[in-house]
This record gives sequence, structure tokens and C-alpha cells, in this order.
Amino acid sequence: MEKGKSLLQKYNIPISNLDFGYVEKCENAREMEKIVMILRSGEEGYFPDLTRCAEEKLKKLKPDSKLFRTEEKIQQSNVLAKHELKPIYDWTNEIKNKDNVLSELKEEDTVQALDLPPVRKTTKIDIDKDETETSKNKPAHKPSAKPQPKSTNEQRIKSTDYSKWDKYDPDEEILRMDLEQEREKEQAQIKLKNIINTKKEDQLEISEEITEQQRLNAQIAKLSQVEREQYAEKFRLRGNEYFKAKEYENAVREYTRAITFDPAQAARSYNNRAISYLKLNNYLLAIKDCEACLRLEPDNVKALLRLADANYNQGYRRESYGIYQRVLELEPNNASAKKSLEQLRQQVGELAPAHATRMIIEELPSDTAPTTKKPKKPATPKPAIPKPATPKPATVEPVKLPKDYDLAELVKPNRVIKSKIATAAEALGGTLKNTNSIANAQKQQMQHMMQKVASAQSQLRLPQSTCSGSTNNKLLIQELQ
Amino acid sequence: MDKPQMIEHLHESVAYTVYDTKWIPLSAKFVVLGSKPNSHGILDIYELNEDKLKKVKSVEKKAAFKCGTFGASSLRNRHMAIGDFEGRLQVLDLERPEMAVYNVKGHTGIINCIDAIGGTQLECGAPEIVTGGRDGAVKVWDIRQGQEPVVDISPPAQMGDGVNRSNLRRDCWALAFGNTFNAEERLIAAGYDNGDLKLFDLRAMGVRWEATIRNGICGLEFDRRDIPMNKLAVTTLEGGLLVYDMRTQHPTKGFSYVEERNAGRSVGSNGVITGPKATVWTVRHVPQNRDVFLTGSGTGSIRLWKYEYPDRRVFQDADGNKEGVAGKLHMISAVTLSSQPVHSFDWHPDKLGLAVAGAFDQSVRVLITTKLNTL
Repeated sequence: MEKGKSLLQKYNIPISNLDFGYVEKCENAREMEKIVMILRSGEEGYFPDLTRCAEEKLKKLKPDSKLFRTEEKIQQSNVLAKHELKPIYDWTNEIKNKDNVLSELKEEDTVQALDLPPVRKTTKIDIDKDETETSKNKPAHKPSAKPQPKSTNEQRIKSTDYSKWDKYDPDEEILRMDLEQEREKEQAQIKLKNIINTKKEDQLEISEEITEQQRLNAQIAKLSQVEREQYAEKFRLRGNEYFKAKEYENAVREYTRAITFDPAQAARSYNNRAISYLKLNNYLLAIKDCEACLRLEPDNVKALLRLADANYNQGYRRESYGIYQRVLELEPNNASAKKSLEQLRQQVGELAPAHATRMIIEELPSDTAPTTKKPKKPATPKPAIPKPATPKPATVEPVKLPKDYDLAELVKPNRVIKSKIATAAEALGGTLKNTNSIANAQKQQMQHMMQKVASAQSQLRLPQSTCSGSTNNKLLIQELQ
Repeated sequence: MDKPQMIEHLHESVAYTVYDTKWIPLSAKFVVLGSKPNSHGILDIYELNEDKLKKVKSVEKKAAFKCGTFGASSLRNRHMAIGDFEGRLQVLDLERPEMAVYNVKGHTGIINCIDAIGGTQLECGAPEIVTGGRDGAVKVWDIRQGQEPVVDISPPAQMGDGVNRSNLRRDCWALAFGNTFNAEERLIAAGYDNGDLKLFDLRAMGVRWEATIRNGICGLEFDRRDIPMNKLAVTTLEGGLLVYDMRTQHPTKGFSYVEERNAGRSVGSNGVITGPKATVWTVRHVPQNRDVFLTGSGTGSIRLWKYEYPDRRVFQDADGNKEGVAGKLHMISAVTLSSQPVHSFDWHPDKLGLAVAGAFDQSVRVLITTKLNTL
């Protein structure tokens, strides 16, 4: 433009492409962006319909294109309805109370010192020294191949100096350059290692968590209620951030701190820690936290759902069943609970009374079951719906069977979801073992795959995830508070 | 509309140049720092009263105020550390602002930037204030220690000795504390007018990493100060916005980043970028969500961004070194706030979506951002 070039020339797009037919066919998002830009600029004329058409096409090809960014004039607060502003007014009043409490606290004891860490020893970081050091390294770092010829510049051989060229050994030169590179790399690594090493020491310190707990407690004792609430809230929010970033261990740590700081109002922290534990597959602790949350807020539906989920995954299906029913009592239309209940019913049938045994005999498919079982099978009653009467024969039945039967095989839940991926992966692993040359690298991949498979299996057992279209319910459970 | 919307709640015109705006922690009050036409410093405290702003206090001092922070003060005392045009760092008790709690002449020129840490963080080392000035020095202060900085990171006495160096002293424009997750670890990121970005390690007392960006660095912020460093947002002249992933440092390549070239320009109403390349003055992360941040630009617009992490944040290169993977930046919304640059912005630390912005059109605005929790 400034240089007298139109956008058309700049992007090198033939004018014939500014056409409905071409726009319709074009599948290249980048090109489409350029076309839209040309059309919008108006350099080639004003074609509102074509522009719109091109924009729509681009939206299809690349929905998050920068060209769709728009800027608006800021709106005044009158666009907000009264009820939207009210929370802010309420908050203002609430925070003013806290503010006053803090001011009073300040008057109370200004000398109070929260045993602050000692003052740092006075030091100087000399940029000068570092700079000379780094400026030496810098050119070497960036284009690692380029500086080498420069450094040998002093002994550069003139192109006409044939006697010297005769002595020149390119191989040796290359070797030298390689060595140089190697050395650099090593130094850089050592430098980084120092950083990492120091980090490890810190981790050791962190492992002394009990002392940390004590120190925290000591500090809590010095804080007022307002301050404690404030700290607890900060920790809880930080936990939420970790949770969102899928760093569940860290999230658990933050929630734990939040709970220690304000145990009286820790329902949300307990609840969030429970979901973090669920994510970590630590169901027992999740159950504990859900219960703690429910002690503080007995009708918290989210906590109930999480508790049911944790119970289910821990294998306590009966408890899980009961909790889902309780959720339905509180919220008769809770879709998540309904679906899970349905799922549970399908899996375990109508649940047998508490004193009945959990054993259920499954009719094994003929190809997996030993052939000797076949004649016996039809004789056993179908235990799919173990009504109060049926469990008895079902449990007696296996005892009568000849001893060479594997009882463990008979005692199985009604539905076993076998992951085909696992067997496939194993088969794949078998073939890979033969080819030893690349085995090492691929073995690691295999392990990764197996881990994935394992996690996939555990997910398969979740009642919510087995039913399709349950993403909404999942979200409900995962939502943080 | 289900996406966040930024709304101007209140607007207050003032009779001086605004340089910084900061909320007082755990209160409905904010402080405006500025310079009167007679170059006196002015500090105004405003209080939010439903739909009105009430001026609670006004303090005038000899030198114009440039920047301030509450980072090193505890919830109980809430003292403000202020840097002024004459290189003086003062810590004021806002109840009794006449006498400074701490007062030191730290720099020979303007104090451009200030950051502080350790006030409300527990187990995270001493409260410290860092100032960066036109004299190119970066100094760390502990107000319990007399008139000397605890760490002094000054450029050498003589400059202009190299071929590529200008004769002028570099100017430190932006500073940020970070990586403070226990009593020992602490980092300072410093940005200079020539585009130098340096990371000073206060535990090892050395330069941890440095890089040079195309343009001078105006704004810097770690997404969180008090966790092992995660992300660093950098804004520059001519509209650069860079977000570094600070988790993984490659031995030679350093940290990886994602860059946005035209973050300072205004996107016209139909997406056509117009106008000159404008500076991105400031970047501020939402205190309740570290992956959402706001930038204030030279054309008077503000933009809300969301950083999206990649599927895997680390990969191993051919030499077995770990290298970070930068994520993506999504612009969530952009609004025009003023005809002049929006250079100071502060989210309320305790209320999601509430913020105060200062612009060079001599006004301060209280903004509300709706639906931030949906991000």
C-alpha cells in the first residue's frame, strides 16, 4: 500500500479469485483470510455480498481467525440490569465491614510482628560481569554453527595461499567444530543441572510437611477471623487454578491449606478436594472429604453426587445406590443421578437386600468358558434379576460343582466390559519384542499406551461415562465452587 | 451473550495526569497516583459507594508520583510503597500519610516501575520492594534495613564501551517479582527500553536467563508471584505481546513463548486493523484465574485474553533436553475505553471482575467485567 502495491499484489492472488465460485470451492484458510482482507480493504471495489460470503466461508474454515476479532465501544453500567449490579453493591457493603475490622485490628496492635523472615544480606548483582560473560556465550548460543568460522577468522587462510591450503585438513576442522559444540552443550547442561539440583533440595524440605503444618498452625493462632477467611479463600482459589490446569496433587495441597485456615467454612474446599481426589483415583479419601463437606452442608447435591461416584468406584455399589436415591429426594429431576441409578440397576439388577451375598453367577460366553462347564450351565437359574429368593440357590450352586471348577471365574459381575485395546496392545507388544532393534524406544510407548488403557478402563466403569450424551452431567459434577 | 463483557461502571475525571491506580486490599477503596500541572505529586483515595465514587482523602507531596504497590504490606497495615519522579521510594501509611513510614532516595532519575512481595504470602520470605529507574538500576528494598538496598542490580558506571551499545544508559521500564513459593526462592524479571529481558535469581544472586525482544518492554507480569513460575506475560512498544511458558528452561533455547504482533492496535469495528502500531502499556492477570489477563494499549482500548495450554507442556529434543511448549492466545473481547493510552489497570484482588483503569485522558474508570467465571 505505502509502496504503491495493492494488497492483491502483495498477497499474489489473481483477481479472478475474487469470485463467488472460487470462494465456494477454496479450502485454504490462509488464502481465504487474504481474500477477506482484500475485500474488506475496498481496494478492488466494494462487494458487500461477496465479502459476506467470503467471511462466512472463512468462518467455516477457521472459526478462530484473527479477522473476526472486533472491538466495541465500552458500554455504560446502565446496560446491566438492577439485579446484576446488586451483588456488587452487596459486596461493597460487606467488604467495608471487613475493612473496618482490619482498621480496628491495626489500632489494636501495631507493634505485632508476624515473625517475619530475616532481612536478606546486602548484596550486589553485577550486570557488568554477567554481561561480559554472557556476551561471550551469547553469539555461541544462538546460531551454534555460525560463530565458529568467525572465531577462526584470525587464522583464516587466504584463497591464494595454496601452500597453506595443502596443509588444511577439513576432517580435522569438522571434528574440532563438533567438539566445540559438544563442549558448549555440556556446559549449558551443567548450568541447568545446577538449577534443577537446587530444586530437588527444596523438594526435600517440602517433604517435612508435618513441621510446615505446625508452623501454619502457629501462624493461624496469630491471625484474626477476617484474615483467616481471606487466606483460606486465596488458597481455595489457587487450588481451583491448579485443578483447571489438571495438577491435582498441587490442588489437593492448596485445598488442604484452605481447610486448615478456615475449618468452619471449609465446605467448598472439602468438596473441591474431593473431586481432586476422585481425579487422582483416591476414592477412600474422596469419600472422607465428601462426608466432611456433607457434615457442614448436609444437602449439598454436588457433594452427594461425588460421594456416590467415589463409592461406586471404590466398589461400594449399594452405598452408591442409596446416595443417588437421596439425591433424587433432594432434586427429583437430577438427570445425572437418574442416569447413574439406571446404570446401576442394569449392572446389579434390582439390588438385593443388605444381608444377601454379593455373589452373582454369570453365564459365560461359550468360547471363553471351559467346555466342561457347558452341560451344567443351562441347569443354573438365570440370576440376572436376583430377587430376594434367588441369591440362596445361586450361592449354593457353586459348592455342588466339581472341584476343578474355577470359582473365581464364576463370581463376576453381570456385565464385564473388556477392553479390546488392552489385548490388542499386548498382541502388538508381542510382535514388537521380536524386532529388537527399535524395541527400546517403542517399549516406552507401549508403557504409555498401557497406562492410557488402564485409565480408560477405569473410566469405562464410571456409570456416567458409560452412557452416551452424559457430558452435561459430568460437567455438573466437576464444576468447582 | 455468554462471553465476558466489559462495562464502564463509574467514571471520574481528575485535574492531573494519572500515573497509577491501585485497589487497597480488602476494601472498596482505590488509590490514584499522579502528577499535578505544577509537577507536585498527588495521591487520591476514592471509595466505591454503590453507584457513586467518593473522594476520601487527597494528599499532595513535592515530587510527582509515578507508581505504587501494596505487595509488601500485610493485611493489617496496608501501607503503600510509592516511587516518584525524583527517584525517591516512600512507604506511606494511608491513615497518616503526612509522615512516611520509610523514605529513601534510591535512584538518580524517575522510578519507572515498582513491584513488591511478601506482605500477605505466608512462608514466602521477607517482604521486599523492588524499584527500577531511568538510571537503569534495579534495587530491592527491605524497609527494616536502613537506607541501603538489600540487592543492588546496577549497570556499570560507564556505558557505551562496546560497538553495539548506545551511549545512553538503559532505562528500566518494567519489573515483576515471581517464583516465590518458599522462603528462599525469588526471581525478578526486568524489562528495559532496548528490549532486554532479564531474569535475576535472588537466591543464586545471578542472572538466570536473558533474552532480547524486538522492542522496548513496557509491561511485565508473572501470572502468579507466589507459585513456582508458570507463565510470564511481556508487552512491548509497537504492539508486541509475548507469553513465556516458564516451567521448562531449555539449556540453550531458554523458555518458549507465544507471540501476538498487533496487540496494541485497535481492531476496527469490522476487524480491519487500522492506525499506527501502538504500544501495549500494561498487562494484568485476573487474580482469580491466572490464565486470563488484560492488556491496555496505546490506542485507548483494552483487550481480554485467555491463554490455552498445549496438550503437552514439555517435549524432549534429540539431545534429551527438555523444552517447553507454548500454548495459544485467544482474544476474548476488546473495547475502546478512551482516546488516550490506557496505561494502568488493576483488578480488585478480592472481587472477580471488578477493576480500576487509569488513562492519559485525565480520568479513572471503575470497570466491571461480567461472566469471567465462565472462562
